[in-house]
Amino acid sequence: MKLHKKGFRRFGVGVILSWSLVPIYWVINTSFQTDAQISDTPAHLFPPTPGWANYKALLIGDGELPSMIRRATINIFIECISATIITVVLASLAAYAFARMEFKGRKFFLFVVVMTMAFPTYTTLIPMYRIMAMVHLVNTYLGIILCYVSGFLPLATWILFSYMQSLPLAIEEAGSVDGASRMQIFRLIVLPLTMPAIASTAVITFLFAWAQFIFPLVLASDQSTQPLTVIVAAIQGRHIVPYSLLSTAGVIALSVPAVIALLTNRFIVSGLINGSVK
Amino acid sequence: MQNAIKISKSQKSIAIVVAVASAFGFASLAAPAKAASPVTISVVLAAPPLPPAMLAEFTKATGINVKWTQVDWDSLQTKIAAGSTANTYYADATDVDWSRVGQLGKLNWFLPMEKYLDTKALATDMPQLSSFTKNGHVVGIPYDASFMVTTVNKALFAKAGITKMPTTIDEYTADLKAVKAKNVVQYPLNIPFAAAEGLSTYWYETTGAFGGHILDAAGKPLFTDPASAGYKAAAWMVNAVKTGLVPPGNINVADSQGQQTLMAKGKVASTFSDYSGNVGSLYDVAASSSVVHQVQYLATPGASGPTSNLGNPDGIGIPVKAKNPAAAAKFISWFTDGKNMADFAGANGTARTWVGYFFPSRLSGIAILNKKGSIIGGDVLAGMLKTSAAVFPQGAPAWYPEFSGAVYTNLHAAAAGTMTVDAAIKAIGAVATKLSSGK
Amino acid sequence: MKKKTDFLPYALISPLIIFIVLLALTPAAFTTIAAFFKVQPLNPPTHFSGLENFRDILHNANVISSLGNTFIYIIIGVTLSTVLGIYFAVILQRRFVGRSILIAVLILPWALPGVVEGILWTGIWDANTGVLNSVLKSMHLITHYQVFLGQHKFLTILAIEVVQVWQITPLSTILILAVLQNIPDDLYEAATIDGSNGRKSFRYLTLPLIRPGIAIAVVQSIIATLNIFDQPYILNGAASTANSLAMETYAVSFQNLNFGQGYALSLLITLFTLFISVIVAKFIYKKVEY
Repeated sequence: MKLHKKGFRRFGVGVILSWSLVPIYWVINTSFQTDAQISDTPAHLFPPTPGWANYKALLIGDGELPSMIRRATINIFIECISATIITVVLASLAAYAFARMEFKGRKFFLFVVVMTMAFPTYTTLIPMYRIMAMVHLVNTYLGIILCYVSGFLPLATWILFSYMQSLPLAIEEAGSVDGASRMQIFRLIVLPLTMPAIASTAVITFLFAWAQFIFPLVLASDQSTQPLTVIVAAIQGRHIVPYSLLSTAGVIALSVPAVIALLTNRFIVSGLINGSVK
Repeated sequence: MQNAIKISKSQKSIAIVVAVASAFGFASLAAPAKAASPVTISVVLAAPPLPPAMLAEFTKATGINVKWTQVDWDSLQTKIAAGSTANTYYADATDVDWSRVGQLGKLNWFLPMEKYLDTKALATDMPQLSSFTKNGHVVGIPYDASFMVTTVNKALFAKAGITKMPTTIDEYTADLKAVKAKNVVQYPLNIPFAAAEGLSTYWYETTGAFGGHILDAAGKPLFTDPASAGYKAAAWMVNAVKTGLVPPGNINVADSQGQQTLMAKGKVASTFSDYSGNVGSLYDVAASSSVVHQVQYLATPGASGPTSNLGNPDGIGIPVKAKNPAAAAKFISWFTDGKNMADFAGANGTARTWVGYFFPSRLSGIAILNKKGSIIGGDVLAGMLKTSAAVFPQGAPAWYPEFSGAVYTNLHAAAAGTMTVDAAIKAIGAVATKLSSGK
Repeated sequence: MKKKTDFLPYALISPLIIFIVLLALTPAAFTTIAAFFKVQPLNPPTHFSGLENFRDILHNANVISSLGNTFIYIIIGVTLSTVLGIYFAVILQRRFVGRSILIAVLILPWALPGVVEGILWTGIWDANTGVLNSVLKSMHLITHYQVFLGQHKFLTILAIEVVQVWQITPLSTILILAVLQNIPDDLYEAATIDGSNGRKSFRYLTLPLIRPGIAIAVVQSIIATLNIFDQPYILNGAASTANSLAMETYAVSFQNLNFGQGYALSLLITLFTLFISVIVAKFIYKKVEY
């Protein structure tokens, strides 16, 4: 029985690793080759002449490309972190009300909020652009962040609502007996218990923001606000697509979220399971 | 009463949380890049920034700072459409592609350049300017005179015993068959059959080689008759797949992909419609090619001898919402100056060479380049440029993007075998007829 | 016994509602109205045109083919990403050495920029120089390179959808994992005492309890697959073998500059998304009590 379980997990770990890493390995492998080597047949399973040339071209020196990449990395970082924090804070407050309080219009408001996820990107692109231009937020961090927050709030609210709703009723009763206000219960009891969901929501929101392309493409007019995704796409030439350089940019672009996930994911997988409520 | 206190207390804590969140937000984010006190213009192009030394010269001479933004071409077209539709400022000067002249001209999304520059004087030195003119207005100024060329891998041709290069399309086809028959390469010809813009361009170039045009001056199709050049060109292209001249995998290969992964690797022996400049920037570059010094430009083989090449120049114009059109015009004037363009193309050393730039759009610029002899295959190319012809001599029609969409989806389907060439041509013709009659 | 109106919940949801009204509902209202207008900058003026846009797009052959293709994308994508999401979440449920690293590894596909993802998978599927062909040939599973994309409709769509599933499975996994973390250990302990094995406790304990997570994950994958754009566009161009509704929306709006029709198509996609999401969520979503 125990052995069987171990085998099940080992196999699963193998599946996750190969599912995620085999293609990612190929990006890394490509980033250490030249464009000519990439198109060789049969394909090189390992870089034939590994070197840091592509990485140096993108990261080192005062050339236009490295400085563009550096600026865009700072931009994407500011935009994603800010959008994530605002989204998670606002969504937690709203989810608490939706999940643990009775009020008129509760179902209606919740449905309307969640429903807005159904709007396709291209539906809202131009009106969003117009609104941002009207309030002079085109080509500002704030404009991009507000746009992200409005886009990611519905999912964040839904996740947190769903999680808070499944918390045992007893926690509030216990709190009320102690004479705590509802916001104290929220802060002292609900929030800590919701930590895994909050961490998951933060990771999800951050990654959604990290992957944005079309909105920042139109909302950012120059290097002062363009995020990394837009700059990576710009590396494509009009007639020649530098595969190896783009792969290198891809490796750089995914290393930041990878590090963040590594540092924060212990919050995702902790909570009730550790026995905070028994 | 207790309830009320609770509310105010909790509202306070909400307020604090929200304030902290927003403070974090606003503090780091608010200030947008403000224009410096001297004039700054924003130039957005699908190209890397100009050499800093050159830009500094412009700023020194005019006092105008240039903020350069690079966006990939596809995305840039989205940005132009979105910005113009939303009636918003997005750049002071940006891309006007040859294929978008009609659209941008009709929509009045760009300022008429004749108001800012002496375009009449310019026209004599700039052969492609006429195809950037629509309804009497100059929509943009061509700055890079690229055109389509035929490229041939001479080494592979030689292996098949071909030393005299073909001059007609029949000779060319026969030579490709010989390369295949001698098994020098399994599939000698590169045609990018992916349903994308590169396939349309390939067909225009081939149609030109068969001695005809795509549309007449009114935008009506000229290719529906089986004896027409456009029809023959489509049949020739599809037949090349069916007879095994083109790799079957090319059904999904895009233009640059075919050039980079097939032509540059010696897996095919020729690309009938290649980009001018590719020998210097791709095939002769060791990092991206295994056929260094093997590929050469070939005067496009036509129905009865070498024929004209199809021009696909890049232009630059001023969007109506530009904040500083006068300064943008000054920049464009400098940017399309003959001597400067020769420098971009490498006439005066690497510090003044603009990566990815191909060829001046002004005859005076080419003259400087030729004197220096600093371009690979320059003499051949200069000759070709003289005879390069616009796909649409009167400027592309306003509905070009929709038309091109019909071209590449139907030609792709014909190559994939899901429809006949005849049906594909009929479908493309129907779209052109519908669009040109204004629906 | 009439209670005074309780303001706290409204105060709590008001920032959210302000965002939604200003930046989601307002743009949506704009497009909904414009869907009933002829908005064609190349062919002015703009005027009310009733249902004409809807009639026109439903007579557009590209839209019709994209409708069928999108349906296949949804079926393949939702099934694969949900099954994988549940499987991965269950694997990650318990603490073990290296679990944190594994979660970080899991999200990598999502963090890869779209352009690079396109280049990567083009390089994998490519018929002339692709890695898959190369590997299959060296293992003598094929004698010559195969064409995976662009020739057979179902194969093409499957190959493209695998790319999207690769990208969205991290989302499904995290969504389900979050709920999975909420199941108290003692429930499993009780189940073990009852003598139920791993498979049984998954079927009767885990699965019912993670329904809220699955519901969110399924709705997310419906939204993602209904809006698939980059993957078919990069891997298969605009060809009708695998074109998607979102690609046609883009083509109609930004290529043909027929914004009225584009908005009409967007509106249909929105209604379609809502319709299947509500049905699916109702079906899966059950309030869980324990």
